[in-house]
Parts: sequence; C-alpha cells; structure tokens
Amino acid sequence: MGSLVELKERQAPVDVHETTDLTLFVRTSSENLTGWDRQKIVDAMVREADVPSDVANRISLEVEDIIVKAGIKFVTAPLIRELVDAKLIECGLEEARKKHTRLGVPLYDVDQMILHPNKENANVPHCPEATNLTLAEGIKKEYALLKVFTADVGDAHMRGDIHLHDLGFIDRPYCSGQSLEYIKRFGLSLPNSLSIAKPARQPEVLLAHMVKFAAALQSHFAGAIGWDAVNLFFAPYLEGRSDREVKQLAQMLIYEFSQQAVARGGQAIFTDINLYWEVPKHFENVPAIGPGGEFTGKTYGEYEKDAQRFVWALFDVYKEGDGTGRPFFFPKPLVHITEKLFRTEGWQDFLHHICDVASEKGTTYFVFDRGETAKISECCRLSFKLNASDIEDAKSPWKMRFSALQNVTVNLPRLGYRSKGNDTALFNNLRTMMELAVKAHLQKKYFIESLLALGDTGPLALLTMSTDGSPYLRMHRASYLIGMVGLNELVKIHTGEGLQESKQAIKFGLKVISEMSLLCKKYSEMYNMHFVLEQTPAESTAYRFAKLDLRDYRDHAQNFVRGDVATGHIYYTNSTCLPVGSNENPIERVRTEGLFHPLIEAGSITHIWLGESKPAKESLSNFVIKVFRETQNDQIAFSPEFTNCLACGRTVRGLQPTCPHCGSDKVDGITRITGYFTKISSWNKGKIGELRERNRNKGFFAK
Amino acid sequence: MESLASLSIKGFIEASFVDWPGKLCSVIFFPRCNFRCRYCHNGPLVTKPDMLEDIQFSHIMAYLQRERAWIDGVCFSGGEATLQPQLPEIIAYIKAQGFLTKLDTNGSNPELLKRLIDDRLVDYVAMDVKAALDERSYCAITQSARVLDRVKESIKILMDSPVEHEFRLTVVPSYHGSEEILQVARDLNGASRLRIQNFNPASVLDSSLQSLKPFDDVLINSFQQQVDDILAH
Repeated sequence: MGSLVELKERQAPVDVHETTDLTLFVRTSSENLTGWDRQKIVDAMVREADVPSDVANRISLEVEDIIVKAGIKFVTAPLIRELVDAKLIECGLEEARKKHTRLGVPLYDVDQMILHPNKENANVPHCPEATNLTLAEGIKKEYALLKVFTADVGDAHMRGDIHLHDLGFIDRPYCSGQSLEYIKRFGLSLPNSLSIAKPARQPEVLLAHMVKFAAALQSHFAGAIGWDAVNLFFAPYLEGRSDREVKQLAQMLIYEFSQQAVARGGQAIFTDINLYWEVPKHFENVPAIGPGGEFTGKTYGEYEKDAQRFVWALFDVYKEGDGTGRPFFFPKPLVHITEKLFRTEGWQDFLHHICDVASEKGTTYFVFDRGETAKISECCRLSFKLNASDIEDAKSPWKMRFSALQNVTVNLPRLGYRSKGNDTALFNNLRTMMELAVKAHLQKKYFIESLLALGDTGPLALLTMSTDGSPYLRMHRASYLIGMVGLNELVKIHTGEGLQESKQAIKFGLKVISEMSLLCKKYSEMYNMHFVLEQTPAESTAYRFAKLDLRDYRDHAQNFVRGDVATGHIYYTNSTCLPVGSNENPIERVRTEGLFHPLIEAGSITHIWLGESKPAKESLSNFVIKVFRETQNDQIAFSPEFTNCLACGRTVRGLQPTCPHCGSDKVDGITRITGYFTKISSWNKGKIGELRERNRNKGFFAK
Repeated sequence: MESLASLSIKGFIEASFVDWPGKLCSVIFFPRCNFRCRYCHNGPLVTKPDMLEDIQFSHIMAYLQRERAWIDGVCFSGGEATLQPQLPEIIAYIKAQGFLTKLDTNGSNPELLKRLIDDRLVDYVAMDVKAALDERSYCAITQSARVLDRVKESIKILMDSPVEHEFRLTVVPSYHGSEEILQVARDLNGASRLRIQNFNPASVLDSSLQSLKPFDDVLINSFQQQVDDILAH
C-alpha cells in the first residue's frame, strides 16, 4: 500500500525518472501523518494534470479540511488522491481528473488473484510469479486504456465491439519470429545482461543461447516466439555427431522449451519451431554458419542429411511424449509441406513419421506452402509470408526477423445484431469497426515508437540493438493484425443459415472476409503500414464477446451464442471456422474452411478433432498430401484427447472421468484449447462449452 | 446402373481413415448376416435391417464422382456383403469408375469370393476369422452350424491368391483368452497378416454385452505382437 510519503517523494527532486529510488524510499517510509504537507498535493495536481495553481491550492485546502474534520489517524496516498479526484470532478475538471487518476487493484481482487487461478490464458499457471504477472497486466491494461488509446477506441474495447489483445503488455510488440543465425553469428550479447557470450562452438551451447534469447524475447514481446528452419540451422553443428548425440540434443531442445515454466509469470515460452525435411529453396545456396560463428565454406544445401537426422530425432522425442507419456505442449513443431518436400529423398518415410506422431500425440502442425510461397509460422496460427525483400534477406539469414505489433479482433456477430439483415448497414458497420481497429493500431504504433525512441537507455533497448546494422525490431516492416470472431454466427444472424448449412451461407461469409481483406489493403496503402487479417486464436475473446453480447443484446444474442446459456458456458465460433460440432467429414471441413484461408494472409488453421481415435499414419499421410494438392487450406492439425492421472501418473487416450488403471478420479484432461495443448482444468468457461460440442469425427477415424 | 437402383444399402461412410490401411475410402454397408456373433458391433444391421433407412445408390455415386480426387477406393461391408446377389455387379460398376475396391467378409461364401478374385474385381480383402478353426469354437461364436468348412475354403482361396488381403480377429473379453487367440494364429499358418481388433461395445448385437469392458490397449498390442511372431515362423 502506498503512503503519503510516497506522494511527497514523487515531486522532489523533480526529474526523478527511475522507479527504483521511489520503491526503495517507500519501503523505508512510515505510514502516518507525520510529514503532512499540503503543498505536495498542489504540486501533484499542477505537475501531473496541468491544474492552474490557484485552483489546485483551493482544492488542497478543501481536502485538508475533510481529512482534519474526519479525525482520521492514518491516511494513505490513494485516499488523498481519491479525495482530490472527487474535488476535480466537482470543479468540472474531468480531463484533469483523468490525468491525475491512480491505477491500482482493490484489496479483494488481489486476494482472489493470489488464491485462485487466472483462466484468461490457459498457458498461465497458478503460482506467485503468475500473480505478479496478472497484477502487472491489470495495471498496464488500465494504463493502456487511459493513456495509449483514445476514449473511443478504449470504449469500443470495453463494450466488446472490438478486442484489443494483450493490453496488459501494452509496452511490448505482439510477437516475434526469427532465425537462429542471429545468435549463431553474433553470440549472445543482450542489453542489460551481465556478461557477453561469443558465438557458440558446440550444439549444446547454441541451444543454451537459443533458450536464453527466447526468454529475453519473451520479456519484450506479448506472445509467441517463433524460430525459422531450426533443424537446418542446427545442422552445421551436428556434422560428425552420432545419431545418439543428435537424439540427445533433440530431447534437450524439447524439454528445455517445454519445461520453461520458470520464466515470465511462470508461463512457458510460447515457442514454435519451423521444420523442413528438405532444404528450403531460399536457403539452398546460402553460405552456412557453423561453430564459432564462422562460415563453414559450404552452403545449407550441403547440410540436408544432418538437418534430416535432427528433425527425425525431434519427432522421435515428440512420439515418446513427456515422462508420463503426455504430449509436449511446447515447442510446437510446424512442418512445412512444400513441392520440394515431395522431390526430396525419404519424404514418404518422413511424412509417415510425423503422421504417426500426429495420430499418437497430435503434436504435429502441417503448414502448407504451395507454389512459390515461403513462410515462417508461429503463435496459434500466425504466419509471415516471405516477400521479395525477405527472400533477399534470406541470403544473410541472420537478418530475417518478423514481428506483428498488435492484434485487434472485430466482434462479427454484434455487427449482425446491429445491422438487422440489411446488407448496406452491415458493410457500413464492418467498415466502421475496421477503421476503429486501424486507429487502435496507429495509437499503439505511436506509443511503441515513443518507447523505441528512448534508445538503448529505454525500456525496449533489446529491440533497438543494432548488432547487424539495423534495429532488432524493424518497425517499418512490422505487421498489424486484424482478426475476427464468430463469422459463422454473423452469417446465421444475417442470412438465417450458418456456414455449414448452405453454399449461399459460405458465399456470404466469403464476401464478408473479402471485404475485410480489401479494407486491409486499402488502409495499408493509406498509412503505408502492413495491415493483414489473421484468424484470431480467440482463447478468451470468443467467450468475452458472447458474454457481452448476451448482456447487451440479450433477446437476439441468446438465439445465436453457442454453448449453454443457462450455465454460462457460452462462446462464439472461432474466426472463420465451421461450428466445432457440425458433422461434415474431415475432407469437407478442410476444404470448406480452406476457402477462407487465402483471404487471411497472416495465417489460418483447421483443427481436426480426433478424440480417442488413432488413425493409421499411412491414412493420415495420404490425407495430408491431398489437403496440399486439392485445397487452399493453410495449415492443419489433428487434435487427440488425453487423460492424465494425477494419482498414478499414467496417461491414456480419450477424456475419461476416472483413471482406467487405478480408478482414481483425480484426473486432468489434455487437448488443444485453440492452437496449442493444455490441461482442461485451466480452461475458461467458454472453451469448456466449446469442448463439449466438438465433433470427434468418430465415424471417420474409429470403427 | 439401373439394375442397381433396387440394391439395399443401409449405411455409408463418406471418408474412412481406418477401414483400409493407407487409403482414404468410402464404406458401403449391406444389411443381413448369416452369422449371429453376439458381440457384433453392427447389431441393428444384422437383426433389424428393415428399421434402417435405405441409402440411394445414385446418391453414393454422386458423392464418389465429386470426391474422386480424395477417395481412393470403396469398401464393401455389412452385415455380410456376399449375401447380396448383385455384389459382383456393383463392385464391377464402381471399379469401372476408377475406384479401388475392398471386400469385408466373414468367409462364408467361398464361391463368390473366388469369382470376385478371378474376375479381378477386388483389390483388397479383409476376412474375419472369428475363432480357432474347430467346429465347436466356430459354432459357439457365430451361432451358425456347418460354416467351418466354407470358412476354411475361403482362407485357402485367399492365401493362394495374389490379391492383397488380411485376416482379422475381433477379440472379446470372456470369449477370447490369450490361448484361443494364439490358436487362431497357429491355425492360419502361412497367412501374411492377422490383425487383432478390440471389441467395441457400442451398438452391440446382444445388449447384455454393452457393459463389457474392452481389453486394455496394452494387452491388445501384446496379443498383436505374439500373433505376429507366430505368423513370422
């Protein structure tokens, strides 16, 4: 709790900017009225909120009067501030009150946070570190809404017209994808770090650098940290190493990332590793960097065999699962399926191998790069398509890094409630929301730029380091994501039929997404920024929008939100997906959902729920090839379900109420929540509602 | 195709990942069976096919034409497919459309099986073997008398033929102990593959078996391993 003395210290000396001194001072301060100095109140009003000094003086006298009259023995800084704020309102100084406001958390809420888990993000555990994260997020969220965004944007978020993702991480970009080449070439030299490491000589050391760099990036980005072509870039370090050593390294890599529950907020780093069986075309003739950061004199094309040994070993480890046979949650392996794959020796065995893992553990993600497309994928589905200048960068791959600055999601069903079946109204409303999303992006961009401008003494020093001649975060190349939730429900509200019900419904859905995609292009030209659509993973947004619509549009919304209205397990269908419970076969699902994927430049995924079934690897592989050849689908994953017994530690397939081995009811279910695996006990109510309705495709995958 | 319009088809899976190893196939289910295995997992198809709706053959063909890029083949299953007098005709028709064909059978119709193989109408045959090949075991499980010789003849036809095939044994707790299972493998001496399938209590013919718990997966794997070892020698 803050004290009056905290207030006193804040204004003298005037130019104290470091939080450290203040915190230290508060710790040693006593919390009583000694040292009451009315002038401090005046100074704060003048300095923080530009209140004219005569007005400030009058208000301070009135506040002092209240405190004296109340005969309170102890007064705290927050109380004085609230009293001052009340007076500012009385004087009609609303703008000044906003500037003078105090951000904080009620005692009760802190109590709840410390005692109960946070379910907004299933990747946050319940522990003191996590509480710190939640508290900090809470304050930064308020800060963002008051300080970074204008009131119209903030209010639209609060109302649930749009969702501004990761507001609690307002002072960081959204996510980052990069290449190992950066640390291979330059070693690990981070601003603020106590020592500097030269480029690694051993694969184990390179791995250690990778893990540490990922952790450093996690504390500078809100979301996923992705790595390009990991098996290929490790390959020069694996020459001459035995298969056993390679397997050991694969095991280390996976365990290092899957057990990182000691990093920020006790959260595992949301890590993606992009993997290839072939040497991707754009790296074939690139000079390889090996031990010590030296060029080896060979090109990456010559490291195909070692890269293949490594990726094979990684999937051997994925197949085994963790110590109790559970699937690994992170790092997520994203395997690129390309034309070249099918021309590369051994592709069939490799495809069977990764399909075997998909059937047994579900871990594999199949990312389809058709034609000349090349991309790096991360997060729940985000991908960056490589353009001409990226391909140019590929010649010096340490330069390759990609970032999205923020994600803003539009609540599509709400547009339906508001437009009352009128096309013109709907598309006008859609444009208004997109404009609001763009405005939010401009405001966040402005804020991040102001932090970056502080350079190597600023909070984002890591992102301004220019080891290779340009800053780590290259702002001019950042993407700005616009997502969507509930296309299926919007189409149903507007046309009377859901996406799975008729061709017309699909056609109308495509019209909506095309319009969004066109608007992105238009705004990109207008602002010279890269606005792109992404399928929002919507782990909590699908629940939040449904809940807010049920509150504000109840009569209408109760017919359209999915799940169980009575128990509050409600949700909207994610992004452009078909409803999770609809019973079309997997071919139909990948094809129909795939129709939307080309319009969504920054990434899409189709989930195929497997439940208990374990289809043969040969059949899955057959299917994957056809998805590549016959559809426009961007990415697929097969999601099985598991039950992990907390009593005997064993893991079995399917969601079981009790452990089939020891009979204990202390079990936890595991499956994909959105784009990643987690324990079901950590899910929010909306996703639980969704889980109950998922179609496990039993007729297709099991006898 | 007109003559096939009267065909009785009672079930259709558009895209199965499990009925044909390595293939994506559609599955056609015919009604009726001459066996009465109490643990049959397609009970209604066997005992009360008339209660099930007919699926139009034209509807199936339209689907297959549309999905020919995806569907490698069609599996003919049941009930017992070889009870359909029009079976060769329908298989020939679908094969002529460019699809691979697979037959699921209980082996009780060796004449038809031989004809389908000789006429090169089937690309794959999966034949159920229900129990050890002695009269008493077979009769007890299938509740049908005098079928063993016909089943044995079908086994011989398959083993002597070039057509790709597998034998399947559905194992049911309290019906099949590990000794019975291994005996089936020994009786199939010379066969290339015997697949062990676990009992599935859903839609089981004898509803008293609904509560019967299938074997643990670990046990199934171990049966499969032992069976593979026997067949390899």
